[in-house]
Formats: sequence, structure tokens, C-alpha cells
Amino acid sequence: MTVTLECRDLTKTYTSTDPPTDVLRGVDLSVRSGEFVAVMGASGSGKSTLLHGLSGMDRPTGGTVHLEGRDLTALTDAQMSRARLTRIGFVFQQAHFLPNLSIRDNVLLPALKAAPREQRAVLERVDALLERFGIAHVRDHASTQVSGGQLQRASICRALATEPAVLLADEPTGALNSSMSREVMDAFTDVHAAGTTIVMVTHDPACAARADRVVYLRDGRETGTRALGPWHAEDAARREDELLGWLRTLGF
Amino acid sequence: MSPARALRWRQVRGDLRHDAAVNVALVVVVALSACLMGTGAMVMERLLSSVDRLFEVAQPPHFLQMHKGEVDLAALTRFADRHPEIESWFVEEMVGFDGAALAWERPATGASGDLGESLIDNLFVAQNETFDRLVDAADAAPVPEDGEVYVPVAYQESIGLQVGDLLTVATSSGPRTWEVRGFVRDAQMASSLSSATRFVVSESDLAALTAAGGGQPEVIVEYLLTDPGLASDLERAYAADPALPKNGQAVTYTMIRTLHAISDGLAAVALVLVAALLIAIALLVIRFVVRGRLEDDVRQIGAMRAIGIPARDIGRVYLTRYSLLAAVGCAVGGALAVLAVPLLTRGVQTHYGAAAAGGRGTLVLLVALAAVALVVVLGCRRALRLVRRVEVVDALVHGSTLDRRQSRRRARRQARRARRTSLAGARGGVTRRLALIDLRADARQWSLVPVVFFLCAFLMGLPAHLLSTLESPRFLTYMGAPQVDVRADLQLADDLEALRTDLTAALTADDRVADVQVHALVLADVEAPDGRRTVRVEVGEGAAQGIEMIDGAAPGPGEIALSLLNAEELQAAVGDTLTIHEGDQSRSVVVSGVYQDVTSGGKTAKMHGDPPPGATGYTFFVDLAEGVDPVALAASYDERFEDVTVLPMTAYVEQTMTHVTSAFRATAVLATAFGLGVATLITVTFLQLRLARERRAMGTLSAVGFSTAEILGQLRGKTAATAAVGAGLGAVGAVTLGGPVLDVLVASAGVGLAHLELAPDPWVATGGAVALVAAAWLAAVGLTVRLRGASTSTWLRD
Repeated sequence: MTVTLECRDLTKTYTSTDPPTDVLRGVDLSVRSGEFVAVMGASGSGKSTLLHGLSGMDRPTGGTVHLEGRDLTALTDAQMSRARLTRIGFVFQQAHFLPNLSIRDNVLLPALKAAPREQRAVLERVDALLERFGIAHVRDHASTQVSGGQLQRASICRALATEPAVLLADEPTGALNSSMSREVMDAFTDVHAAGTTIVMVTHDPACAARADRVVYLRDGRETGTRALGPWHAEDAARREDELLGWLRTLGF
Repeated sequence: MSPARALRWRQVRGDLRHDAAVNVALVVVVALSACLMGTGAMVMERLLSSVDRLFEVAQPPHFLQMHKGEVDLAALTRFADRHPEIESWFVEEMVGFDGAALAWERPATGASGDLGESLIDNLFVAQNETFDRLVDAADAAPVPEDGEVYVPVAYQESIGLQVGDLLTVATSSGPRTWEVRGFVRDAQMASSLSSATRFVVSESDLAALTAAGGGQPEVIVEYLLTDPGLASDLERAYAADPALPKNGQAVTYTMIRTLHAISDGLAAVALVLVAALLIAIALLVIRFVVRGRLEDDVRQIGAMRAIGIPARDIGRVYLTRYSLLAAVGCAVGGALAVLAVPLLTRGVQTHYGAAAAGGRGTLVLLVALAAVALVVVLGCRRALRLVRRVEVVDALVHGSTLDRRQSRRRARRQARRARRTSLAGARGGVTRRLALIDLRADARQWSLVPVVFFLCAFLMGLPAHLLSTLESPRFLTYMGAPQVDVRADLQLADDLEALRTDLTAALTADDRVADVQVHALVLADVEAPDGRRTVRVEVGEGAAQGIEMIDGAAPGPGEIALSLLNAEELQAAVGDTLTIHEGDQSRSVVVSGVYQDVTSGGKTAKMHGDPPPGATGYTFFVDLAEGVDPVALAASYDERFEDVTVLPMTAYVEQTMTHVTSAFRATAVLATAFGLGVATLITVTFLQLRLARERRAMGTLSAVGFSTAEILGQLRGKTAATAAVGAGLGAVGAVTLGGPVLDVLVASAGVGLAHLELAPDPWVATGGAVALVAAAWLAAVGLTVRLRGASTSTWLRD
């Protein structure tokens, strides 16, 4: 299987603090096409910074990031934005929806920006996504009028609307209760099953157990990786136990 | 200091440091308002103090009547005896010379020149003993020896005459020369709008000068009253007495004072008006800043209220902070005003003398500053009422300043908006569509920009348009003159009739001249409801042709057109019949129209007909053939006819209005600088706060694939678009609302105008708006340029 996303010796140092803080200290990560990778670690271990570096929202201090063989760190701001628009989808802990747009328009926004001349196709794709994730009935609602779970599913729709090469998710269930978390993780699982490559940061072993592989970060370094194999719902409890056992050996 | 107060101060200090840029901008806006308000108030106070002081030492008459010709002293004595309110009176004898007859020379350097360019009458007088004294820099009334002259301070200023220079007057019996011994200030004719000025010579020199010929003898009958308030009554009584000399202007004490205030107080009034606009802008910005600050601090406010600190105390922390900023702004503005006042009162000091800078000036400044500070603090208090409405739970949990009902309402509004708007089918691209949606959603906040830019464009446009109106050829119609190329004035000459014939013949024979109109100036006694009035009438073929009437039409045979002030004074309207006395004969004329005129104190009249004999002067209105240069023609005639002042109309307007136009030019330049400066400052402040508020939305856009350049471009575009709307409306407003504002100003000034048609300069109007939008754009670029290359992920964090 081909490698979709890869970073080598990725470092990030914040110089605004005194002394400077090394958040990432040389992380190597390869994500194969169609793979679902969960990144875990304690608070401050550099999980989110790694994701921001992979998406190009942050310029790393050192190292390289390759997406589909293209070095993102060598791109200009405009090229990087274009890559993020067309090849990367992002789901945040907070949905970060524009309050003056409906759910559908928020989902539509990146897709329409990426392909303004293919409006009809884009609309059909977006409506199909909303239908698929069970939120078509709230598509004309404002973001303040729907539940957290619906909002995060809409976030996933937004991230998928441009048919990206990789979906990055930063604690997508962090602000949700357990039933909504399950809803959202089911959506991720569906997306993965349809062949989408996913890198998800989470602190929740139950969420991480859905991934093919779990990478563990501590103090900005990768300290372990564990393959879990393909997800089966009936196997959930065993996977979670196994993962927890492994995490404990890493000091989780 | 109590612990609570110490805590409050610590908090205020911390807050001030935290928002340094916004705070500095606030201080600057308040300081500018305070500076202008303080300067305007102080200039006004200086002017009034100086006028008061000059009036105190010089004692101008409470009522005066000018006259040319014989004076019946017995009739004047009888009149004075009948009026016990007359404390003192005398007849001042003068001899007037045209500027062209006066020359000066500096023996030390050989420098020389003449006063030919000056349009005002130069009157030679002897020093008055009882009142209406002409005073020098030391407030003394100098009495010159034979061969010495004291020159009006205006000439010291305009031509740089010095003590020791020689002044020569060309008389019919040869030149007569005096040595300049000093300069005098003239309470009666100090105003820069006054049409005459007085030179002081000795009694015997005056008698010799009058006898020498070449000058026009004139008298002023002057009265000092026990109560200046009785001047108008005396004026009426004087006008009603047929035996008294009165073929010139009659002037009261109030008119002299008003004239001083108008001519030199205009700039001060303009400053106060500009300051008022700036204060309005400052209030808008303060409201925006305070609300923005409270929204940012809402969790902190919620926490303070949760631990039991009363809303009043929390509000006081903010109020202390903004009061401190207002105080600093007012202090800085006050200091700037103190520095600016001497620069702006230089003219006042020259004409009226320097009044001692007493406590009154300081008090006026303090009151002006206190007023500005009070308005600002009250504005803050109003905006801070929000603190009391903050609900603890909403603040802590949702970070919202809104209570539940307001939150629900806002959610409903957002839902409605979300339902109504659609990105699909958007024209002009998603970025532009998003910008429009955002502008509509946050219209209340964004409205600050167009409102401020409207005010700034208005502020910049109004004085500029007033200036272009004063400088436009159309303004001639407000000076009782038609729009012609050249004007020739023939007055104060011995051989008036001969000169008139010569000049008429020369102009008629000249093939460069297309048309000549000769108007004779006569003084006619007109019957008014409260007695007879002497009215200055211009008589000629087609007199008043080409002059815009505000009511009625130009006069035909047997008709008269009156200037606005004369129509008011004679209580005559169009269609009324007036009785005119000319010697023993009287005739009736019908008022055909009313026009506006600012010349001759605004009191003129125009009649159709042949110039009658016995005119006191003639005015020639000359239209030139295609392609003839009016400047060259005027110069050639001016040289050929020494006793005639020949000027291109443009120069005439310029000279007559130069003081007013220069005041407006300075105001226009100042207003432009202030307008642009304030607009830039407000844009920077607004965007700074807006950027903080839009961070998350910007982060979201960046995350979904918008480039930083696109995101910042959107913000700059919104700024430029809103600024353009405001500046455009302001520019249009200055043109359309400028007229009514101007009408109020001119009508209240009482200078003979009721309606002044604004002649806006389209280049100034569009140029000002474009400059404002450019300033907004540059401010937006300057503020956002540092964000290029920023880590956009930080925009998504709190």
C-alpha cells in the first residue's frame, strides 16, 4: 500500500516562551493510504502540534511533511492553503462553524471554494454527505440550533466535502458526552471503511481502539506504536482492553 | 489606600498595559477633540478680551455717521442738546486718498513701494482727544509732531512698514512726505473686513493735506452715549432728522463689535464645530472599545460577580480606567491648545493688541477641557451599563455578555440569517460572498466605520467647499456685482466727471472690450417706516443685470432692487413702493427684487436709468472680447488712469475676501489633516479589536483552505468597502447638507446673505473621499501585514 502522509524528523520549538519550548523533538510518522491512525499521549505531549504541522497550519521548525509525495514544508502559503483545501480535511474538538452560515453552507464552503465552477456536482455531493451522516434534516439550521453530535458529524461532512486524501481529526469527541461520542466515532468508522485515510488525535482509548494503529507521543517524541488490525464492532471490548494494557506499559 | 482601592488601581494599571495600542488611540482621539475645543474656546476668549481691551483704551463711538460734503454744525449741536443720552460728541475731519496715491520709502536701504494694491480707503486724521482714540502698542494715544505719521498696524503687517520709513502722499499740489513714527490700532476700523483705515498726523499737517487737494474730504460724526444700548434709538432719531449730515454709512457700536467677532472669530467657530464632530467620533469609538473590552472580559466579570463583588464596583474599575484615559487625553489636548493659541491669535494681537493672559483664558480652557472629559466619561458610563446586565452563569459557562433572553434572541436571529443566506449561486466568488454575509451579520459593529468616515468626509468637505464657494466666480453675485472680466472703481477723485468721461471713451474705443456698463453711486434718502434712511444706490443701464435675485427680478425703469439688509431695514418687500428724496424733489419707485450683497456693510440698492449728476463715484463693469487677458488689460488701464482702481474681477474678489478665504483655507487644510488622521486612527483601533474578535473565524477559514492573503484581503476589503460607503456619503452629504449648514451660518452672521449656493469643487469632493478610502486601506494593510506567515492554528486557540 502507498504512503499517503509522511513526516520525517519533525520538530517544533516555540520561541515565545523563556526558555524556548521544544514541543516536537523529531517525530517520524508514515500513514498508508486508507489507514486509520490514532495519536495518543498525555496533555502537552505534542499531539495537536503534530496534527497542525501535518496539515500545514503551523510551519514546523525542522523536518519535512510529505503528502502524496509532495513536500508541504516547501510550499508557499497560497500553495499550502490550496493543498489544505483540496487534499486535507480537518475536524476539530470544537466544530468551529461560521455562525452566520447554515450547516449546509458551512459544509459547502471548502468544496465550493475548491471547485466554484462545479457548483451542481458539489451541491449533490454535500447533500449526499449530509444524508449519509444523518443530518440532512438540520441542513438549514444554524450551528447554534443542533446538538454537539450533529455538529461534529457536520464537521466530518465539511472535511470530506472536497474528497481529501487524508482526514485529520483533533480530539473530535473531546467536547461530547458518551452517546454523542459513539455517534461521531461510528461516523469516522464509516468514513474509514469507505477507504479514507485518517489521522486522529485523542486521549480516549475507546476512540483510539477504532483505529488500525495507535502511535503514542511523550514529550514531543514518539515512544511507541501498536497495530490493532481492522475494526469489528463485536470485538470492541477486547481491543479496548488490549490497548489500555499497552498504554499502561507506556505510563498512560 | 484601602485594599479594595489598591486592588482596583493594580487592575487598572494592568489593563492599561494590556491594551496599549487601543488605549493610545483613544487618548489621541480625546486629545485631538480637547485640543480643538480648547483652542477654539481660547481663541474666542482672546479675541473678545483683546477687543474689550482695545475698546477700553480706545473708546470707539457708540454711534457714528459718515458723510462727504458740508456739515451743518448748528444742526448737530441742536440734535445733541435734544438728546441727553449723548455723553460726548464731535465731528472728526478726515481726508481720504486712494492707495495708488500713497508710496513709501526706506532711506536706509533704498527700498520703496506703494499701496496701490490695497482696496481700502486710506483716511488721514488728527488724534482724537476725548474718545475714539487711535492707540499704539503701549495703549497710549500718540499725538504726532508736524512731519510725523502713525500708520495702521495692518500696513506694518502686510507691507512690512517700519519706524523711520517715509510715507509720501501724492496731492494736487505735489507730494507730501512724513516720517513713520509708529503704528496705531483702530478700534473702529480694526476688523480685517473693514473697508477703511486711519493714519494719524498732526492737526496742522491734516489742514495742509486737505488744502493741498487730491484727497476726498470726509467727516465722521461720532457719539459717545451714557448707555451703549441706546445706540439704535439714536441712530433712528438721527436718520429721521433731515438737517443732519448723513450721506455715508451709519454704524453702531454693536455693529463694530459684531464685525470684529465675525471677521476674526470665524476660525474659532470652525474649530469648535470640528471639535464637536471629533467628540461624536470619540464617543462612537469609546462605545465600541468598551463593549469589546467587556465581551473579552466577560468570564472575568462573571467570576468577580460569582465571588460577590457588586456590579457597581466592577463597573467602577472600568470607569476609572477610561476616566484616566480621558483625563490624560484632555491634559495632552489642553497642552497642545496652549501651544496652538499664540499661533492662531497673532492676527488678533496685531489688530487689537495683546490682552493680558489672565485667569479668564485659563478658566475658559479648563471649562472646555472639562466639558470634553465629562462627555467622554458619560459616554463610558453609558456603555458600562452592560456590566450590570451580565448574568453570572451565562458569563462563566458561555462567555457571553448576553442574558438568556438575549442569547435566545441572538440564536433566533442567527438561525433566521442562516436560513435566508446561501452560498450556492453566489456571484463574485465565495470569499466576497462571505465578506458580504459577515458585514450584514455584524452590521452594528461595522457601522462604526462608515459613520466615522461619513463624519470625516463631511468634516473635510465642508470647509473645502466653503472655500471653493468663496473663490468661485459665482461669488461675485453675492458682492452685488455681475460676472464680468474687469472692474474699475472711480471714487475719491477731484475731477470725477471728467475721469468718467475719459475712461468711458477709452473703454468704448478699445477693441479688446466687448461691453462696458457704467454704474453711478448716489446716496439717496429713502422713506422708511421709522424715518428717512440714506441708501447707497447704484444707478445705471442694466444695473443689477446678471445679479441673482433671491426674490423678484432686476429693476426696470421706475424700479429699484434692494440688498437683503436694506430690504429688512426699510421693511420693504417686492412690489412695495418706496419714496426717494433727491434734493427738493421726491419720486416713487417700486421694489422689483431683493438680492444678496456683502459689500458696503451689506446695504446697497440698484436702480435702472442714466447715471444722474452728483454721483459720489462710478463703477465700470467691463466684459472683454474672446481671448483677451483681463490681468493685462486691467494693468494697462490702472497705469493709464492713476485715480482709478482697475482690477480683474478675480483679483477683486480675492482682495475683498482674502481674509475670510485665508481663514477658510487654513481651516480646510487643518480639517483635511485631522479627517485623514482621525480616520486612520479609528480604522486601526477598530481593526485591532475586530481582529481579536474574528480570530476564530479566520482560523476556521484557514483550516478549511483559505490562504492568509485571502483572509486578510477579505478583512481589508470589508474595511475599504465600508469606508468607501461612509466617505462617499460624507462627500455627498458635505455637498448637499453643506448648503443648509452654510445658510444657517451666513444668516446668523448678518453680513447681508440669506442663501449662499454652495459651489463645491468636484475634485475636492472625490479627492477627499478617495484619500479617506486610501487611508483606510493603508491602515488595514499596515495592521494586517504582520499577520502574514503567522501560525494560523493559534487563531483557533483562546
